[in-house]
Amino acid sequence: MDTGTLIIAAASVFTILSAIGVLLTRDNLYAALYMSVTMLLIAAIYAAYNIQQVVVFIAFVFVGAVGMITIAIAATYRYIPAKKISVGWIIPVIIVFAITSYFYYGFATFNLKTQELSLGFEKLSTEYMVLLVFLFSLIVIMMLSAIKLARRVEL
Amino acid sequence: MSQLFIILATSLAVLLIAYLTAISARDLIRLLISLELMFGAVFLAILPLFSLQASTAFAIVVLTIFTSSSELLVLITAIVLLDRSKRGIELEKVAVGGETL
Repeated sequence: MDTGTLIIAAASVFTILSAIGVLLTRDNLYAALYMSVTMLLIAAIYAAYNIQQVVVFIAFVFVGAVGMITIAIAATYRYIPAKKISVGWIIPVIIVFAITSYFYYGFATFNLKTQELSLGFEKLSTEYMVLLVFLFSLIVIMMLSAIKLARRVEL
Repeated sequence: MSQLFIILATSLAVLLIAYLTAISARDLIRLLISLELMFGAVFLAILPLFSLQASTAFAIVVLTIFTSSSELLVLITAIVLLDRSKRGIELEKVAVGGETL
């Protein structure tokens, strides 16, 4: 196992551990914090493959914007629910994970070599700009619709 | 142990943990957090595509990030609206059209 694979394996282990933290913690605030750490570790896996464009998107858009709003709303509604995880659900999850991982181990036997990633930001200014403008417009329209709904509820 | 196996197994583990979090959630905040974990698993599952078609994979990631972000922002707004109308964010209070839980 080479150094790159070791780094990815370590980041993957910490990703799974922080995701388990989301499952096991009783406080919504800590669950949101664990979720943000999980997303940042997923971005770290992308960084290990030198896919910096996706790292920027995940860190700034998904964690920086949506994750921070989730943390803020979790701190507002810091409700501590009773534990309801039953062993009856954990057993089929472990079985599904074992069977799927067995086939992954048999068929997914090669390392990843990423392609043409240095061209990402150059293409961003030309090919993806229309797409990004369209997606920003989509978010603005959806938030305007949400504000309209909120005003209707207040009335 | 290959890198592809590590990535796919991690994606599957995060997805299954998100499912467990969703079915054990008692309030909408925990459900929102589990949805974000599911999108994290999707991001990991897209990663092997960068070794085949990097530009296509990047376009898919951009679409996924923006659509999931807008979906989650609208869901956050819906949670705030539910709290205003129902005075709580527990899953038991989510009932539509006379449905009883």
